[in-house]
Amino acid sequence: MSSLTTTDTPTRTGLGMPFIIVGAIVLVLVCLFPFAWMALSSVKTLGELYTVPPIWWPASPTWENYRTVLFESNIPRYFLNSVIISVGSTGLALILAIFASYGFARFNFRGKSWLQSFVLIGQLLPTAAIIVPLFITLRVLGLVNTFWGLILVYMIITLPLSVWMLTSYFKAIPVELEEAAIIDGASRLGVLFRITLPLSLPGIVAVLVYAFVTTWNEFIFALCFATDSSVKTLPIGLAEFSTEFNTDWGAVMAASVVMTVPIAILFFSMQKLFVGGLTAGATKG
Amino acid sequence: MKILRTTSVLAALAASLSFGTTFASAGEVVWWTPNFNEARARELVAQFQEANPDITVRLEITVTDGLPQRILTALQSGAAPDIIDVQHGWVNGYAQNNLVIPLDDVVEEGRDDYVPAALDYVSWNDQVWGVPYRIETHAIIYNRGHFEDAGLDPDAVPETWDELVETATALTGNGRSGFAITGGGEVGNTIFRSLPFIWMNGGSIVSDDLTRATVNEPEAVEAVKFYTDFFTNGLSPASTLENDGTANRRLFIAETVSMYQSGQFDVPSIAAENANIDIGVMTIPHPEGAETAAILGGWSFVVPRDARNPDEAKVFLEFLQQPENMGMFTDTFPARTSAMDLPRFDDPILQVFKEMLPYGRPVPIHPNWVQITQAYFDGIQRILLGEDVQAAMDDAADEIQALLDS
Amino acid sequence: MVRQSTGLLFVLPALVVLAMLIAYPVFYTGLLSVTDQQGAFVGTNNFAAVLGARATPQAFWNTLWWVGGSIVFQVILGVATAVLLNQNFPGRGIVRSVTLIPWVIPGIVAATTWAWMFHTEFGIINYMMTAPGLIEAPIGWLSNRDTVLPVMIAINVWKLFPFVAIMVLAGLQSIPNDLYEAARVDGANFWHEVWHIMLPQVRPVIVAVTLLLVIWGLNSITIIYAITRGGPANLTLITPIQIFRLAFESFQFNQAAALSVIFFAVTIVVVFIYIRYLASSPAEAK
Repeated sequence: MSSLTTTDTPTRTGLGMPFIIVGAIVLVLVCLFPFAWMALSSVKTLGELYTVPPIWWPASPTWENYRTVLFESNIPRYFLNSVIISVGSTGLALILAIFASYGFARFNFRGKSWLQSFVLIGQLLPTAAIIVPLFITLRVLGLVNTFWGLILVYMIITLPLSVWMLTSYFKAIPVELEEAAIIDGASRLGVLFRITLPLSLPGIVAVLVYAFVTTWNEFIFALCFATDSSVKTLPIGLAEFSTEFNTDWGAVMAASVVMTVPIAILFFSMQKLFVGGLTAGATKG
Repeated sequence: MKILRTTSVLAALAASLSFGTTFASAGEVVWWTPNFNEARARELVAQFQEANPDITVRLEITVTDGLPQRILTALQSGAAPDIIDVQHGWVNGYAQNNLVIPLDDVVEEGRDDYVPAALDYVSWNDQVWGVPYRIETHAIIYNRGHFEDAGLDPDAVPETWDELVETATALTGNGRSGFAITGGGEVGNTIFRSLPFIWMNGGSIVSDDLTRATVNEPEAVEAVKFYTDFFTNGLSPASTLENDGTANRRLFIAETVSMYQSGQFDVPSIAAENANIDIGVMTIPHPEGAETAAILGGWSFVVPRDARNPDEAKVFLEFLQQPENMGMFTDTFPARTSAMDLPRFDDPILQVFKEMLPYGRPVPIHPNWVQITQAYFDGIQRILLGEDVQAAMDDAADEIQALLDS
Repeated sequence: MVRQSTGLLFVLPALVVLAMLIAYPVFYTGLLSVTDQQGAFVGTNNFAAVLGARATPQAFWNTLWWVGGSIVFQVILGVATAVLLNQNFPGRGIVRSVTLIPWVIPGIVAATTWAWMFHTEFGIINYMMTAPGLIEAPIGWLSNRDTVLPVMIAINVWKLFPFVAIMVLAGLQSIPNDLYEAARVDGANFWHEVWHIMLPQVRPVIVAVTLLLVIWGLNSITIIYAITRGGPANLTLITPIQIFRLAFESFQFNQAAALSVIFFAVTIVVVFIYIRYLASSPAEAK
């Protein structure tokens, strides 16, 4: 964390420390409350899960649920599938979105508002309406039960998010910086990659993380378009702990912890990138 | 579905050009079965393969969450497997939308051996559209220990509605609810538990000829009042409006509920999660002088209209419907009477559930049945929220009538 | 104009990919909405049927409450959290990562866990309130006419305010320090900085985030469907759940398509107006 402090100049006014501490504690409690309940449930025995009144701490914590998840279920396999699909769709969305957002943020052309709305079109149609025709589209493309199928379909979800957010971050960067570079003879693409992108790094990290998580947790498309276990993803693995009239809740909770914690750690490890390029530059220079 | 057909033909053409791994190739039968059947399905497939080396059966395991959506997506888009396990209640919707093929030739050989109500369930337009393999009905599961605590004889179970109310009242108190009804979760939960009471009382939701909503007639209203009064009078838990069958089982396991309706599938979970409970099972009480009733539940096999290899699928279905195979495959009871003689169905705890089977009835067959039950269920929930029974059922009847007329 | 075509060139690849995926679904939904199950043209029959259904107006108002209520709190709490996380304090990295957790927990699991915690009997929330005597009897959070929709909104706010927080935080990170320094010379305190520097600088971010929240709110069924399925008695029924039920529970694909078209038409107009007047104003620059 210490590395983060470099962005803040010592002279800056701020919120009083008591405010910050109280705020941070409330924030952590609110965010962690259900998660803590999940984590506690994952080490409870079957008889302790549903009691009236509920119990906080298991009498004898058990790792049985984690053993089930890690060694006796499809979760590890699906974890790998999920990584491939989420990395693929996030990467593809980011590449497409960087160009599109730059176009929307820096150029004015006829029909721009319409095209910006068009980006959202896939999400304006209810999932229930598009799922069958989308399946047919995938069949025509020969992409049912393939990684590419899901990666492409997830563009419907990740592109609106990425394009809109990146556009707003690009707009926030002073145009003068780019103009100066163009006068110095840089090309459009050169400006985009050498000035705009580095300056909006925090935004790109935020978009990356969120696009990744959205695809990581997506259920209904994965359920319908990936029916073979070689491409099934983690949310399907969660559903496999349920049978017609029963659900192995301990295992579901353990699996959810296994799905959630790596992402939080990943984000934690990316904190260095989350530092504003412009802020850092301005302070140092 | 004319347009759908055309597009799916185009899609199939394109698909056949570009890939062939995902869907069945010649002589291959793709079978979607739910995860709780997986182990037994693998065993049957292995046996079948040994006897029929020229047909390959490929299993794809489905999950119950979102199963109807996944099946419908596959059926509607023309990229379907060859055999799918579905609940009896879904078969008619598929048949009426021309999504599956008739299977009369498969069941012909054993037609008289099938439980008639099971075949009725999957029949439409005088044809059979699914091969039922599993049937079950509800009974009432109760906590024998709680009976003793309340000074009741756990072997003298209530047989009439009045006795049920008396028993439930005696069992209620000290944080225990005598008889838990459902009022939440998926629609089916409450239909399965309340509609039989209407039937026992001589009522129905819609008239037999499917032209008239009858849910606001006296017999039905009386039964709905009987059902919802368990909540209104405090005999069912405060959480009734958020409870489905699973929630009731959990409350029973937590020993805060003494009686509730369910099928035999709940018995192993109760035994595993709370070994202290001495489980009893009774038939569902009926009005004085009437017979009990239940909804027949269970699963059937269907063959999609777009199956690649329907003929091979039928060969495999012939194998699956053999009494010994059906008896081995079912989670609860088999749909053929001769299979019921297998030793695994002799378990004493199953006897009451077996006694209930002949009282099991199929639900009415109408294209808008699901919406009709939704309208009825909304009415039940309004009663549980405090509305008058007759008023709620009158409103439900209006909605149902509109669905029957359309 | 050269500039016109350059701009288009940049946005084209993303649009082509989307068009490829979405063209057929749009066409298919439109077609389904004016035909019957046999594929015959029936004009506006499906539209009449869904508009005449008793649940439709109720679902419409519920949707407004659901989206409106969710967004107000998501944006306010999200921006406040972002300002907090932009401060300098020990453990900040951990707190930032923890903030991400509600969003990372799979929707269906979060929904079920909340349903479990709000349960009248099993629920830890009622237990925490009854045990110290805060309330006398357990509250039926999910079975009471007055609490069920607010509880759904609260869960939705919990799930999505971190999204606003992290996105706005990313925007705050890019504000040049000169701006703060200039303000400080004029004697600005912290709240002045929030009001006159931070909020105006992240305005485009908030505008974009709000738009995405509206769209997700309009299309999000997981939380409500997993907890109440739109009940009790349609108190939490929102239009996308109504469409989902029509299609996948009742096999009424044509009516579902008709309702989707109406829904789509209304939202696209709202979205377009929003974009026209809010999203494309200041920074066009060149």
